[in-house]
Amino acid sequence: MMQGAISNRIRTLRFMNGEMSQADLGQRIGLTRQTIAAIEAGKYSPSLEAAFRIAQVFNIPLGEVFQWDAKATPSKASELS
Amino acid sequence: MSYREKIAWLSLFAMAVAYGPYFKFVASSPAPWEPLPHLHPLGLFAVVSIARMLILGAGYLYLRFSSPREERVPRDERDRAIEHRSLSAAYYVLMAGMILVGCFMPFTSTGWTIVNAAIFWIVVAEVVHYSVVAASYRLQASS
Repeated sequence: MMQGAISNRIRTLRFMNGEMSQADLGQRIGLTRQTIAAIEAGKYSPSLEAAFRIAQVFNIPLGEVFQWDAKATPSKASELS
Repeated sequence: MSYREKIAWLSLFAMAVAYGPYFKFVASSPAPWEPLPHLHPLGLFAVVSIARMLILGAGYLYLRFSSPREERVPRDERDRAIEHRSLSAAYYVLMAGMILVGCFMPFTSTGWTIVNAAIFWIVVAEVVHYSVVAASYRLQASS
């Protein structure tokens, strides 16, 4: 299988949007605070729908929130998700 | 630690405390138990099941009042994915156990030995279920 992992800029985007909390972001898109924390840490890959909802909250294209890092090694936890 | 991870650990603890001594007693019984419908083992199993329910009830109440409200929100997609994965793992364990108990043990064992083996595999499947839940939340915890 091809190597690579999904990275994201959610933490930066939250900071740039009035220091939005993980709980607040989660509440807006129907996810728990823990799930947002797991996504931020790269330990859980969200569904495509959740990813689009996150991008919609920040009002930017999906590609500016999530990126594919071809050189990165996926964590054990993200392989489970 | 998330609310659902705490529930998984609580369930594992309750099973260990209740069914651990039960199976230890069953395994160490010197003579084969009397054939069905000898009801003494059933009473013993009822006692450990009630003990498990009491531990779970007390644990649920404690967690309900000690966890912040935000911890007790409805399941999201990650919770459902973890639940699906854990139930899938438990299903295969239960199937293997039931095939062993239902297809092979009738030729080698009788009565309560078969009943206890069936109970054992149900408990093992539950342990696998909650272990996968707890491990999944632990692996995906941010810190």
